[in-house]
Amino acid sequence: MRIPCAWLNELIDVPVPPAELAERLTMTGFEIEGIEAVNGDTVLEVNVTPNRPDCLSVLGIAREVSAAFNVPLKLPQCDITGEQPSSGFTIHIFTPELCSRYCGRYIKGVRTSASPEWIKQRLEQCGIRSINNIVDITNYVLLEFGHPLHAFDAGTLRREKVIIGPPDVITEGKSSVRIKTLDGIERAVPDESLLIWDSERPVAVAGVMGGASTEVTGATKDIFLESAYFNPVSIRRTSRRMNLVSESSYRFERGTDIEFLEKALDRAALLIQQIAGGTVHRLIDAYPLKYMPQSVTVNYGKMNRILGVSLAVSEILEILNRLGIRTEDKGETAVVYPPPFRRDIRSDIDVAEEIARLHGFDRVPVSIPRGPLLAGSINSKVLNRKLVHEAMRKTGFNEAINFSFMNMSSLDMLSIPDNDRRRKAVIIRNPLRQEDSCLRTTLIPALIEDFRYNLDRGMKEIRIFEIARVFGNCGKQLPDERLMLGGIWYHEKSPSLWKEDAPGFFVAKGALDSLFDTLNIRNCSFLPASEPFLHAGNAADISVSGSRIGYIGVLGPDIIGKLGLKKQKPEIVVFEIDLEAVFRHIPDSVKYVQIPKFPYVERDIALVTDETIPSADILAIIRTYPSGIIEDINVFDSYKGPGIPAGKKSLAFSITYRSADRTLTDDEVSSVHDSLVSYVMEKTGGELRK
Amino acid sequence: MKAVSGASDLQQLRVKYLGRKGLITSCLKALPAVAPELRPAYGRDVNEIKEYISGVLDAKEELLKKEEHRRRIQAESVDITLPGKFVPFGRKHPVTAVLSEVTGIFVSMGFEVEEGPEVELDYYNFEALNMPKDHPARDMQDTFYVTDDVLLRTHTSPVQIRVMENRKPPLKIVAPGKVYRCDADISHTPMFHQVEGFMVDTDISFSDLKGVLETFIHNFFRSDIPVRFRPSFFPFTEPSAEVDIGCFACTGKGCRVCKNTGWLEILGAGMIHPRVFEMVGYDPETVSGFAFGMGVERLTMLKYSIDDIRLFFENDLRFLRQF
Repeated sequence: MRIPCAWLNELIDVPVPPAELAERLTMTGFEIEGIEAVNGDTVLEVNVTPNRPDCLSVLGIAREVSAAFNVPLKLPQCDITGEQPSSGFTIHIFTPELCSRYCGRYIKGVRTSASPEWIKQRLEQCGIRSINNIVDITNYVLLEFGHPLHAFDAGTLRREKVIIGPPDVITEGKSSVRIKTLDGIERAVPDESLLIWDSERPVAVAGVMGGASTEVTGATKDIFLESAYFNPVSIRRTSRRMNLVSESSYRFERGTDIEFLEKALDRAALLIQQIAGGTVHRLIDAYPLKYMPQSVTVNYGKMNRILGVSLAVSEILEILNRLGIRTEDKGETAVVYPPPFRRDIRSDIDVAEEIARLHGFDRVPVSIPRGPLLAGSINSKVLNRKLVHEAMRKTGFNEAINFSFMNMSSLDMLSIPDNDRRRKAVIIRNPLRQEDSCLRTTLIPALIEDFRYNLDRGMKEIRIFEIARVFGNCGKQLPDERLMLGGIWYHEKSPSLWKEDAPGFFVAKGALDSLFDTLNIRNCSFLPASEPFLHAGNAADISVSGSRIGYIGVLGPDIIGKLGLKKQKPEIVVFEIDLEAVFRHIPDSVKYVQIPKFPYVERDIALVTDETIPSADILAIIRTYPSGIIEDINVFDSYKGPGIPAGKKSLAFSITYRSADRTLTDDEVSSVHDSLVSYVMEKTGGELRK
Repeated sequence: MKAVSGASDLQQLRVKYLGRKGLITSCLKALPAVAPELRPAYGRDVNEIKEYISGVLDAKEELLKKEEHRRRIQAESVDITLPGKFVPFGRKHPVTAVLSEVTGIFVSMGFEVEEGPEVELDYYNFEALNMPKDHPARDMQDTFYVTDDVLLRTHTSPVQIRVMENRKPPLKIVAPGKVYRCDADISHTPMFHQVEGFMVDTDISFSDLKGVLETFIHNFFRSDIPVRFRPSFFPFTEPSAEVDIGCFACTGKGCRVCKNTGWLEILGAGMIHPRVFEMVGYDPETVSGFAFGMGVERLTMLKYSIDDIRLFFENDLRFLRQF
């Protein structure tokens, strides 16, 4: 809301300069978002919160200034005196719950023309376009008093009738109703939307916008001026459904002053008479649902307690009175009567806010809550997520945060089949862009985009991870939200000072190994991959204790082809892990195991086996060999090529033997080792490498 | 001695003079042949010579060892100015860093961390927070809808309701998380992060709210940063406040960062509205509490002087690696 200071000064003598006024208003709840010099005047941009529609006007702000500085208001002249002829107009309200008061005045013989400069200038300062003197005056009063008015060309209102009701009531649901509004657009009217009608047709969308057929034009001679109270919820629904927002609807849907609307009507009628001439006729006032003053009982002690202040009764009452709230002191309590324009004050807490606001938030002391000493705590999920976060960073991955949105076509790009559960996405009804209409079911598409973004900018090392939720439409009201870890790894091979590391798959796998190690999860295995977008020979499903928790692998050549990257055969590794599944496998507690007291003996086996046998299988065979002294096994070589027959590979393991209760002898170890070697050869069909 | 260039030359000399068949040894062996009266002098002289030679040889040996060591060190020397094999740790996203810092401060004040769903019921996001269907306050938050009753949460406040529905006071909760609004420009993204917090007990006052939030702000920013509370409006709190801190770019004089006000808005807060308590079955006459919420991106932008919120979600490594 824009408030010109000169105008404000007409309604109250502001005792301080604009900058100071801005400061004071901000501290009483009306944040001044800008102070602008316009045509020698100062205009304040006031942020009026939705609970204070009464302040969407110069008068409203003047009332606040009055309360803040304890200075009286100066209301402009509104009373119409002298002889007023009666008109033939009649008002018929069909639905009092939607329109509990409707006032009107017939003004005969006006001269429509351009407005005088002072009116034009003020409208312009407030950001409203000047149209003609009649319309401008209704807008002027809207800005001044906050009450929306509407002027009809009385000559076009058939049979001097003004009927108020929604289409389903007026036409008894017989026909669908359309109206051409002042903006020239013909609109269908929803059934429950309140309209103003003459004897034959709708002439305005009540409280939202007038109709074109009864518009005040240069040819208008007589006008009918409306000032009414419409139900806020009804106006809001109509405005929403018709997708039509105006200065009027904005105020009506927040609530207007039913008692004051007559003053606004008269103020406008007087201004019209003054500027455009004409004879103002007698007031017609249909007021089927009378305003009932509301009272609120407040307990002084509770007010002080909730605010943490110790105000005297007199201070509390004085603050309330300054706000125009009538009070009756009852000893421990007071009964307070908020004025009709303060419908936001309905309970004692609303009164507490008024007291705090005017007393000044800055004058409320600062205290520390007293109460039981509670230990702060972080739940285990958040703690575990921190561990994952740290493990990923220590292996060189940088954290990214992507939007939760996904384009369904990115699943096509990943060749994800139609029956995959990742196709069951949550759809947003009103997305910002069509591409962002789903919630993601996998983190991979966004990570590929992050990779591509960085690759395009010349990055040679791309290691990114993200921890975020994915959303699965599981048929219930709310989707299944699952915390996932996703990652992408890329390294551009280029001459480098120090020796290169392992292939990307194993670097990324190593990062996951560190992750599982950090979480004390020891029983995870890597099995042949099932993901369609991964390189079938360089990918794995990851399972812990037999259940699949994720996957890792080199992005398939076909997918990389679809990405259209400039780089030749880039090696891109991706992984995605269901963290909630992982967290279930974290041991509850760690127990100390005694550090071995006796020395170890190390022996190697070099086997030539069928190349299809996974090293993990051989490890498992060794691990389960019933010797009681095998402590640890490590693969230290894996080789295919010259010296090894085609279809075979050489694998070398080093085995650590140790006993918990004695020093092993060489003979003892040799005998176990030899039988282990025969056992492994027998189980795998392999031979010792010569 | 001058010709000696290595350990073996030296060894030869040692054998030649001091060995079992060496020159000095044979001189000593010849002692019985010397006349008895000359023997002491002879013995002394030979021993003197022996000690002298032995000393010279030892000194040379020491010298050679040092030389050898020096040569080895030189041969094994590297260019220490070559870069190390650098495997940098990954970085925390600045938003995550600030999120955990904020959460950590509240945890240190005895708050518990709770989370809630990102796809939420209209009931928890609005209705139970005193924003019925046709409430104009809903305009303050542009909402992504999934169905009429399901939406992407526009704030972390629904966690308040979910926690209070299941637990009884006293409660001290902080709830970080992602929130969504259909809005996108230089200062808005459709997804961002908030930290919600609330405290409910039998006798919590607005001055307690001020105390807790000032403590937080002084911990997060600087202990001497000015803080002000000014009245505002949220349907689920009353009285409601916006909390500003003195602009640190201009120390309150007025600049572009604070839009010439000298203040920066950093969080919203207020006393939990009695109707919210009623919605979760608490008796507003016996319990009271406060709630607050803050935008993490905004705090992060202030902390690192970042001027475009979109940078947070582009995930440019040149950006991410600065924090």
